[in-house]
Amino acid sequence: MIAENTQTQMRKGILEYCVLLIISKGEIYASDIISELKSARLLVVEGTLYPLLTRLKNNGLLSYNWVESTSGPPRKYYVLTEGGKEMLNQLDNTWSELSSAIETAKQVAEKTTNNSINLNKP
Amino acid sequence: MKKTLNINIGNTIIHIEEDAYETLTVYLNEVKYHFSKSADNFEIVTDIENRIAEMFSDILLTQQKQVIDIMDVKLVTEQMGSVKDFETEETDGDQHEYGSPAFGQVKKLYRDTDQAIVAGVCAGLAHYLDMEERWIRLIAILTVLLGGSGILAYIVLWIMIPKAETRSEKMAMRGEEANLRGFANSYLQPFVTKSRGFLAEAFDLLGKFLNGTGSIIVKIIAIFMITIGSFMLVALIVSVVALLGVWDTQVINKFPFSIVNEEYLSIMTLGAFLTFAIPLLAIILFTVRVAFSNRPVNTTFSLVLLILWLTGVGITVFHAAKISSEFKEEAEFTQSSEVKPYGEYTLTIDRTRFFTKEDSVQYHIDPNNYKGRKILSASYDDFDLPNSVSLSVEKSDNGKVSMSQNFSSKGFTFEEALKNAQNIHYSFLQQDSVLTFGPTLYLKKNAKWRDQEIKMVLRVPEGTKIRANREVRRYLNYNYWDCEDESNNEFIELVMTAEGLKCQHERVADESNR
Repeated sequence: MIAENTQTQMRKGILEYCVLLIISKGEIYASDIISELKSARLLVVEGTLYPLLTRLKNNGLLSYNWVESTSGPPRKYYVLTEGGKEMLNQLDNTWSELSSAIETAKQVAEKTTNNSINLNKP
Repeated sequence: MKKTLNINIGNTIIHIEEDAYETLTVYLNEVKYHFSKSADNFEIVTDIENRIAEMFSDILLTQQKQVIDIMDVKLVTEQMGSVKDFETEETDGDQHEYGSPAFGQVKKLYRDTDQAIVAGVCAGLAHYLDMEERWIRLIAILTVLLGGSGILAYIVLWIMIPKAETRSEKMAMRGEEANLRGFANSYLQPFVTKSRGFLAEAFDLLGKFLNGTGSIIVKIIAIFMITIGSFMLVALIVSVVALLGVWDTQVINKFPFSIVNEEYLSIMTLGAFLTFAIPLLAIILFTVRVAFSNRPVNTTFSLVLLILWLTGVGITVFHAAKISSEFKEEAEFTQSSEVKPYGEYTLTIDRTRFFTKEDSVQYHIDPNNYKGRKILSASYDDFDLPNSVSLSVEKSDNGKVSMSQNFSSKGFTFEEALKNAQNIHYSFLQQDSVLTFGPTLYLKKNAKWRDQEIKMVLRVPEGTKIRANREVRRYLNYNYWDCEDESNNEFIELVMTAEGLKCQHERVADESNR
């Protein structure tokens, strides 16, 4: 349960970051975001994306344009706002800090493991 | 062949099969409910609906289909994710954003008809008060036992508290957080949407009661009734057989039977037996039929029973009418005898009576030696014969003391009535100044009761004192209540005056007034 919860929390933070990253590449439709997230194996079901997009939009990080579709009703195409870009920069920094922190932590862990193995040898 | 529906989803018209439509509706309702707490409810749901519409359009286009079936809906909803999937993605951290935290935690009082025994009042109260249902029910039963106030309270609550009908009402009743899982859980429960009035509900309940638990109670009552009915029937048969067996002896001389003529006795017993036994049997059979819904007898048998019953009633009525005709004429004769004159008479009732020959047979006492023996009947049976003895004291005109006994009876003809009157046995005894009367009249053996009566008149000259004991007073045609003195004596004292019988102390008072 605890592991699951941690995973969910991590995934959730990263999901938001990834969505911003995907949208930063240019105007994009929701279902394209989904397929990208699916290929990155970050998203299991589509339904979770819509509340997230709405929340990001309401927080002023995203906006959308209605674009006419050839096969149906108009679609929402999402773009980053200035606030969103700023937020993405912050997240980039945070991410590099985090990843380096994790790398460091992993290296330390490996060293101690090796040492302990050496010590055990006669 | 399947029925299809046209739906408008995300501004797109989609043909969809009926079962697929139902599944989709359930899914969309779940989704709507899930996001109902969110401020962006409408936008999110619209996005999802639009996306579903798009996926449907894709499916129709790529598979060259015209109609969405249930498999397509399942595919789409799987891709979109169930509400459970949404939930794991949006754990606690986000929850404060969705509506007020108090939502769904406020309990409301509803009747819980899902867990109802009667109308769900107790179950609803249990939810509201956060107690176990059984304690509420125990309290309810106790209040019913304590003067039945609980029944009234229950009915009032039944009428006043609304029934939890919708899912949100049911959840509000349980105080469940109106969260997704609760909603989904409650969605799986069967859902009764029909709202009906109190009376309809009550009748419906009664019907269910009679079909279910009630039928057990009805059956228990039925078994009880059948047992009692059978017992009464057996008792009736046994008593009739016993009665027929002892016909010759004392029974027919006892009062209610002594009305019936001997030649009618058997047929009237049969008639009376049929009159009472057949309705008993009918009640038993009817109970069996109602409670266990099988017909123990066929129509022919029922018809035979009816005819037998009517015959029994007919016999009884016919003979009763015949017997009552024997009360048509009345006859009487008077027998006067002189009584030795004394200045004062004491009137008493003698409860003892001399042994008769019949008595000695009845009690197995040596029949040759019965004379002089007495039966001490401490209390005589009022039921034996209707009270038919009366005594009055009058002023004698010729200065002599006399006793006249008037015997009367009824009969079909005057002669028969006179004969019946002669069947009266009555004991009156003078021992010096003590006059002893029998407590009741007796009929000679095998004589029928035809309203026989004996009226006695004791004529005494003026100035004669009469002392009447307590028991005599019951027979005396005199308003002796006025004579009761405070001393509560065994005897009251009366004096014959020129104006008739008077109390001793009354006369004394009269004289002193003069």
